[in-house]
Amino acid sequence: MSEKIDPILLSVYARTFKSITDEMSISMERTTRSPILCEAKDYVTGLYDEDGRMLEQTENLPILAFSLAPVCKHIRKTFDGDIHPGDVFFHNDVFTLGNQNNDVAVFKPVFVGDDLVGWTAVKGHQADIGGAVAGGYNPNAVEVWQEALRIPAVKIVERGKLRQDVWNLIFANVRLDMVQHDMKAEMGACEVGARRLVALLDKYGTASYRAHKQALFDATRRMMEAEIATIPNGRYSGEGHVYYDGRNEGSKFTIRVDIDVLDKRIKFDYSRTDAQTNGFVNGTYTSSASATILTLLQMVNPDIPHNEGMVEPIEIVIPEGTILNASYPKATTFGNHLCPPNADAIQRALGPALPDRVTAGWCNLLSSLTTGMDPNTGDSYVDIGFMGMKGGAGALNGCDGYDHIGMIDASGGVLDQDYEMFEQQTPHRLIKHELVADSAGAGQWRGGLGVETLFEIGSDDTQMVTFGDGDFEGPVGVAGGLGGGLNFIKLYYPNGKTVVPRNKDLITGVPRGTIYHQMAAGGGGWGDPRKRDRRVLLDEVRNGVISHEAARETYGMSEEELRS
Amino acid sequence: MSLKLGIDVGGTFTDFVVAEEGKPPRIHKTLSTPSDPSIAVVEGLTQIAASMQPPRTLEEFARSIDTIVHGTTVTTNATLTSTGARCGLLTTEGVRDALEMRRGVREEQYNNRYVNVRPLVPRERRVSVSGRIDRDGRELTPVNLDAVREALAHWRRDGVQAIAVCFMNSFANPAHEQAVAELVRKEWPEAYLSVSSEVLPSIRFYPRISTTALNAYVGPKLGHYLDQLVDRLNVAGFRGLLLIMQSNGGVISPQAAREKAALTLLSGPAGGPGAGLFYVAAHGQNRCVTTDMGGTSFEASVAVGSPMLKSDGEIARHKIALPMLDIHTIGAGGGSIGWLDNGGMLRMGPQSAGADPGPACYGRGGRLPTTTDANLVLGYLDPDYFAGGRMKLDIAAAHAAIEEHIAKPMGLTVEQAAAGMYRVACNNMAQGVREVTIKRGFDPREFPLIPGGGAGPIHGCLICNELEIPLQIVPRESSVLCAFGMLMCDLRHDYVRTFVARLEALDWSRLNAVVGAMADDGSRLLSEERIPRPEQRFELRLDCRYIKQYHEVSVPVPLDVVERRDANAIARAFHDEHQRLYGYTLEVERSPIEIINVRLQAVGATGRPAYRSERSGKADASYALKSRRRVYLPERDDFAEVPVYDGHAMSCGNHIEGPALVEQQTTAIFVSETFDCTLDELGSFVLYAKGREDLIGIAAKKEACV
Repeated sequence: MSEKIDPILLSVYARTFKSITDEMSISMERTTRSPILCEAKDYVTGLYDEDGRMLEQTENLPILAFSLAPVCKHIRKTFDGDIHPGDVFFHNDVFTLGNQNNDVAVFKPVFVGDDLVGWTAVKGHQADIGGAVAGGYNPNAVEVWQEALRIPAVKIVERGKLRQDVWNLIFANVRLDMVQHDMKAEMGACEVGARRLVALLDKYGTASYRAHKQALFDATRRMMEAEIATIPNGRYSGEGHVYYDGRNEGSKFTIRVDIDVLDKRIKFDYSRTDAQTNGFVNGTYTSSASATILTLLQMVNPDIPHNEGMVEPIEIVIPEGTILNASYPKATTFGNHLCPPNADAIQRALGPALPDRVTAGWCNLLSSLTTGMDPNTGDSYVDIGFMGMKGGAGALNGCDGYDHIGMIDASGGVLDQDYEMFEQQTPHRLIKHELVADSAGAGQWRGGLGVETLFEIGSDDTQMVTFGDGDFEGPVGVAGGLGGGLNFIKLYYPNGKTVVPRNKDLITGVPRGTIYHQMAAGGGGWGDPRKRDRRVLLDEVRNGVISHEAARETYGMSEEELRS
Repeated sequence: MSLKLGIDVGGTFTDFVVAEEGKPPRIHKTLSTPSDPSIAVVEGLTQIAASMQPPRTLEEFARSIDTIVHGTTVTTNATLTSTGARCGLLTTEGVRDALEMRRGVREEQYNNRYVNVRPLVPRERRVSVSGRIDRDGRELTPVNLDAVREALAHWRRDGVQAIAVCFMNSFANPAHEQAVAELVRKEWPEAYLSVSSEVLPSIRFYPRISTTALNAYVGPKLGHYLDQLVDRLNVAGFRGLLLIMQSNGGVISPQAAREKAALTLLSGPAGGPGAGLFYVAAHGQNRCVTTDMGGTSFEASVAVGSPMLKSDGEIARHKIALPMLDIHTIGAGGGSIGWLDNGGMLRMGPQSAGADPGPACYGRGGRLPTTTDANLVLGYLDPDYFAGGRMKLDIAAAHAAIEEHIAKPMGLTVEQAAAGMYRVACNNMAQGVREVTIKRGFDPREFPLIPGGGAGPIHGCLICNELEIPLQIVPRESSVLCAFGMLMCDLRHDYVRTFVARLEALDWSRLNAVVGAMADDGSRLLSEERIPRPEQRFELRLDCRYIKQYHEVSVPVPLDVVERRDANAIARAFHDEHQRLYGYTLEVERSPIEIINVRLQAVGATGRPAYRSERSGKADASYALKSRRRVYLPERDDFAEVPVYDGHAMSCGNHIEGPALVEQQTTAIFVSETFDCTLDELGSFVLYAKGREDLIGIAAKKEACV
């Protein structure tokens, strides 16, 4: 390539790519209807070169950090020779590199004349995509067909013309009308991005663009290599645990990672990980690799651009047939939520090598999805308990864990429902949503605080799906710090009965007046609690997030210190 | 003869604009006095009086002033530096941590060392009160006033200065908050009281509790400052009307500002967009993008007929949900530092050298290369004529800083590196303009650019090239744009009520009653501010959405549409706005529309100063030619000699061709080689893309200069 690299123009390209994916993201936020998209922002927007290599993306949720590029390459290969201006593709299939059935993606090839120059793509968690259970979380699933409609790469728009028959076929298998609108919103965002990329190339020319994007990958790769080079060479091993697969009472699985660091390269090998289950608690390659990358990204410079160069020095081996990479046609809907134990395995492995960068354990996900009918309005509602699911982050050397943002796969990217909007959109009444005293794993640096949620269910015959973990093993403490507590969900029925759903469960017929009670655990602590700063502790005791007893017994404060 | 002053307190300078009937506006700057900003206000007035012909005493001058419009950042600074009041918060049992948890957000998701912002009210002073209103406004449990009394007693001993009250669903029924407010006013009248149903009676708990707490946090400080200011002005002899700038681009009386101090939190740049509209009116236009480049930040906003409003924003990571001008701020100012990231790519900002130590060329100990250093190396700034020659710039220091930190590591010459810094800085600014135009559904090419700030007009041409904007207007007052804009501001009071209803089944008499009540409140307040009835007007907006959408679109609706119960007109306006913002509607699908909030702005017109316009002179500007200088020409990525004109000597009708430089004491203008420049009757420098003379509004001159 003879095109000269202008180092300044390179910065301009990088900044403009970022602004394009940001603009696509705003378009999604503003036009979608499902609260999973417009409120929780469970979607990713991205820009790829002609070969499907990531130029930039805006992921909102870290777990989506690496979920689009593999599929883009897959489509590029599958449709080679049959990709034309005006085409648009749909995709969700987990057995062709999708990450989760409900994460349905749109890919749009971008052309300058007849020259394919790149792709824009959006993937969002759709409220429904068919299968046996509304919303997709089917703890009884053993095969993909009980979970969702499979959409392998499908051309939904051909040379600008919508293939209405294909569209009808897809949406005849989806429960909610809203999903059609939200898929249109994804297509709209791709169009927004495509226009901007074309405008950029009109200005600088495709030769300049091609040369500079390669230089951009190289620059980012060097940044990542420099980060990896700070990790001492060696092999590091760690494990994390998964409890209950939705089918086999008492089941437990272990994720084992062996990390090899050699100079500028890092390899994550999951070959020793337990075999897949016959339930839905299985990962896909893409969801598991995404979890690996997000955990690594939290240990390096947070400003590294998210493009192909960032992932080049990273190798990830996940044999098919393990719980992190299920073989066809296993059920996989829970796969994204294997991120917390996967992150745990990595953090525990790298602890000795990077004592100042790994965190103690985070609150694991335990969530619920309630559906029913509002008796006052007659409208049906769906609610995902975002406010209840987030506990504390793990502490690290020199920094307390952040309160009420965990699980690690969201890391503060998912917002609580606003309390008053929650009471408008569901018939429920909020009783309590507060930080919990002494929930943080104690330490010189404490874990983030956990959160307690109580609300009164306001619909008759309510259906509830629970999905998650963290009710058998809490977040671990590190370097002498203590662990956080356990998650739980309990239902107090009006007749006095208490129901404790399993961590993957489907409960029907929950009556009106039932009190829902959830605990999202605090994160693990770092270091000896007795070394915690006394002034900070006193402040925390005054503010009631650490009790007198805990201050005395766990943190070793004397009565005099407490009285001062 | 009416005399009106705009006084804008900034971090480094306090800006003054003196407007007198039939005369060109007069500019003055004096150093700010952050410990008590009112000192600089009086100092500036003294200096202006002394420099008048013939000189006057402060008292003579102060007595002759009819109106002072004042912009203060007292509340902004208190929030940014965490030095607000000691507050207590009374809230509903079960949700006392909402203020601190901020809905569980961590803005930097990959940064495990990023910590939460300290809550405005610590947990120990957030007190739960039992009592509950449901979503429809029905009382479920009565409010426990004993718990309130107990908290008050405790807080009195604890030195609390301000009290915030925010209960669940008070937008639907404020009875509990009112009962508590009554109790506080009776038992502790000295405490600053901020009640959510008075500050922001609309749905969404977190934005409301955050706004209410912010109001309490800054209330006492603003009150104290206004006492000092009023006192000093009074002693100086000022007997006219004092008005305070608010974030919504309007002004209010000092009393109203005291009561809702949070209204001033983002008022700093709020004068700019109104000023922009004034200048483009001379060209028959009613829309523009106004930018303001300071030492640390670059602000951009859009105005179409009037400045764009938004109903919420953030300050120091705290949510504030009061109407404010939609002004986008990025970290790109004269002091923004250039650096190379780990991958070796050049970046500019957001770190800034600020005013102290400032850019390397200031010679005050700054060693890092900034935008200003690059501008100096590229020839855009004259080292001997910065701030009219009051400050010498050290070009060798600028060279050295750029060489060490940018040129050497990148393998470039110093001039190449400086050019790169300039281009990256301009690109950042262009992205800032993109935020307020394209991302809000506007095509930037249809908006003249007003580049404000002393250095703004050095960057205007490149921003315009990036966005294909063919017209820029650089006002003579561009370096004091906000202070100038304040002189144009009307009194504005915002009201909001949550009113959830489907458009197709609307209870019109209830809606009219709600609108009427808000208009009555507004009218009463305006009358107290001496605005006669004919000068009052009311602007209505309805926040609407398609049923089951989550976000609303705020749609302007003429009052008479509600009076004549015209649902179709409301639907039409909503569909159109939705189309403009998001590129589609659900009109064909016949998706029902619901109203969520009713917003009313009561506007009291204030007198605008009438400026003398300059008479048209000749096109030839060679008489104003000062020198020639070698500058960087971005279009050809090379240096060349260009003419330098004395801006002060130029007048209406003068015409120059780009590339050229125009210098004034407080502004430098770079006319790149794709632009030409002509002066209009307000003395503004009109830069237009070569060959686009048609954009200059000759025909509109008469109306604009009345």
